[in-house]
Amino acid sequence: MRKWEEMQERSFYESTARERAVNLVDKGTFTELLAPIDKKTSPHLPILGEAVSFDDGVVTGVGKIGNRPVFVISQEGRFIGGAVGEVHGAKMVATFRLAQQSYEKIKAKYPNDYESRVPAVVISFETGGVRLHEANAGLLAHAEVMEQIQHCRGKIPVIGLVGSKVGCFGGMGFVVVATDMVIMSDRGRIGLTGPEVIEEAMGKKEFDASDKSLIYRITGGKHKYIMRDAAYLVQDTIGAFHKQVAEALKMSYDEVQSHRCIGSLKLVEEQLELVKIAAENNFKDATDVWAYFGNKKSDQIQDQFYDEFIREAKRRPRR
Amino acid sequence: MGMTMLGKGRKAISMILDEGSFVEGKIDGYTLPDIGPGAVIGTGSLKGRKVTVIANDAMVRNPRFPVVYSGVIGMEEAYKMATTVYKMIELDKNKPQGEKRPLVLIVDTPGNGPGKVEELFGMNKATGAYQLSLAEARQHGHPIVAMIIGRAISGAFLCHGLQADHILSLSEEFQTMIHVMPLAGISRITKRDIESLTELSKTNPVFASGAGFFYKLGGLEELVHNVDDMKDTIDRHITEVYKCNAEGNSEKCGPWGRGILGKERGGRETRDEVIRMMYDEFAKVEAQYI
Repeated sequence: MRKWEEMQERSFYESTARERAVNLVDKGTFTELLAPIDKKTSPHLPILGEAVSFDDGVVTGVGKIGNRPVFVISQEGRFIGGAVGEVHGAKMVATFRLAQQSYEKIKAKYPNDYESRVPAVVISFETGGVRLHEANAGLLAHAEVMEQIQHCRGKIPVIGLVGSKVGCFGGMGFVVVATDMVIMSDRGRIGLTGPEVIEEAMGKKEFDASDKSLIYRITGGKHKYIMRDAAYLVQDTIGAFHKQVAEALKMSYDEVQSHRCIGSLKLVEEQLELVKIAAENNFKDATDVWAYFGNKKSDQIQDQFYDEFIREAKRRPRR
Repeated sequence: MGMTMLGKGRKAISMILDEGSFVEGKIDGYTLPDIGPGAVIGTGSLKGRKVTVIANDAMVRNPRFPVVYSGVIGMEEAYKMATTVYKMIELDKNKPQGEKRPLVLIVDTPGNGPGKVEELFGMNKATGAYQLSLAEARQHGHPIVAMIIGRAISGAFLCHGLQADHILSLSEEFQTMIHVMPLAGISRITKRDIESLTELSKTNPVFASGAGFFYKLGGLEELVHNVDDMKDTIDRHITEVYKCNAEGNSEKCGPWGRGILGKERGGRETRDEVIRMMYDEFAKVEAQYI
């Protein structure tokens, strides 16, 4: 494996889950838990004649950023689209539990000085949601992850990263927006329903699933940044994501929480105002929404380079 | 038997609650916003106990969001549901744990709003918000019991059902449907022919659809075989959840509790092995990190 310093320059989008996991935390600090050597594979895939992966499509482990233990979940899109089955889901849930157990231990060990040592959970999403080959177990695992995120509230920052090939879709689309802070690159994508299903529900005239550019505008990092579903938009390197996570871990817990888009009555009311805007305007494309929020050259946004976009983008106002 | 409760969310409310007790659109003195017609919400009593009810109404269309009908949970519906839960928490803020009012979810929903504007404005946020509110209500000690009367499909079941303390379902003779995707869809995506999948699904609960399989996986606490038993069964489960919470065992309920149940019933045994192995491996390196 290449050196940590070199890997900081590498494209996040192109990187494997393990490359992301190892290099999102400080140099030389990552320990993988339930690594491929443990060969804990899906018991369900062989029944359907499918190949297994020794990590079941997710890298889990712990590293450090500064003083703080960082529990990492990194999904691998190259294995069944990063989809969540029983083992994959259990690895995610166990990682959250370890973070919470560590929080209690740290608090007991450093009663006067624990705040700067509080653990964090960082999830690098690359997934289509539930793995259909073991759909029921995958769905139940999603519910567990959501519960664990709520259990971390008030204690442990949970940060979601989206910038990999598969994006973050299906049930994991709920999970990512439930984190405290979402960090994306322009190439990241977040959504819930697959384009084909939307086309089927709306008709091809209203929504053409083969229009990749349209789908990219709706689900892509720039749109999510303008909507504030993503707190930060960073360049497509592992180093840029690492740096933004490190910045977040310097913030107070309340400051991290201030980037949430859901998770309280106040935030729900804020989102409901957006739904009202959606109901009152006949938005046909993401560009219409960008224009609504004051982006004059909305038709050029998709082609803008990072620096220009960050400089000029008008984001939806907060309440 | 031929009987079904599919599409009959409102009828289910009247069967489950004490006669004439349901007040729609109200959580005590608070009036819910007049949006999201696909979600029927209100307060009533169940065997004398005050409860909040959230149900799907499969018979209406949302006039503002054309993909929302037939019990689909759209953005308005989901945020209305989340608002309800947060208001309920707020209203019972000063009550002791054992007196937080229960929440009954009546489940008959085929999905989340599958539309363009839904993706643009974030359907995922809406139902994600509802899931978080339910998880928070459980933390405060509100017992949540879900009763599946019809469809509990994929993402819609995730938000309206799977965060409950206990989940009950009418058994399959009532044409209840619980799945992520029907076998035909799984066949298309996994590239396995439907005949062999059908054969496999008779013995493998992990991808097949149906209440019985979810039971085996620990995804349901109890199957209800008679519609007239719904009321008593829900009441009994509310009492059980209160007891669980009072004994400090709230983790025996909810999603984590159903993980334990999945092992007990033999449908999901690997989950527990994975978690234990992760704990053991971390214990060996813990000193480097804590």
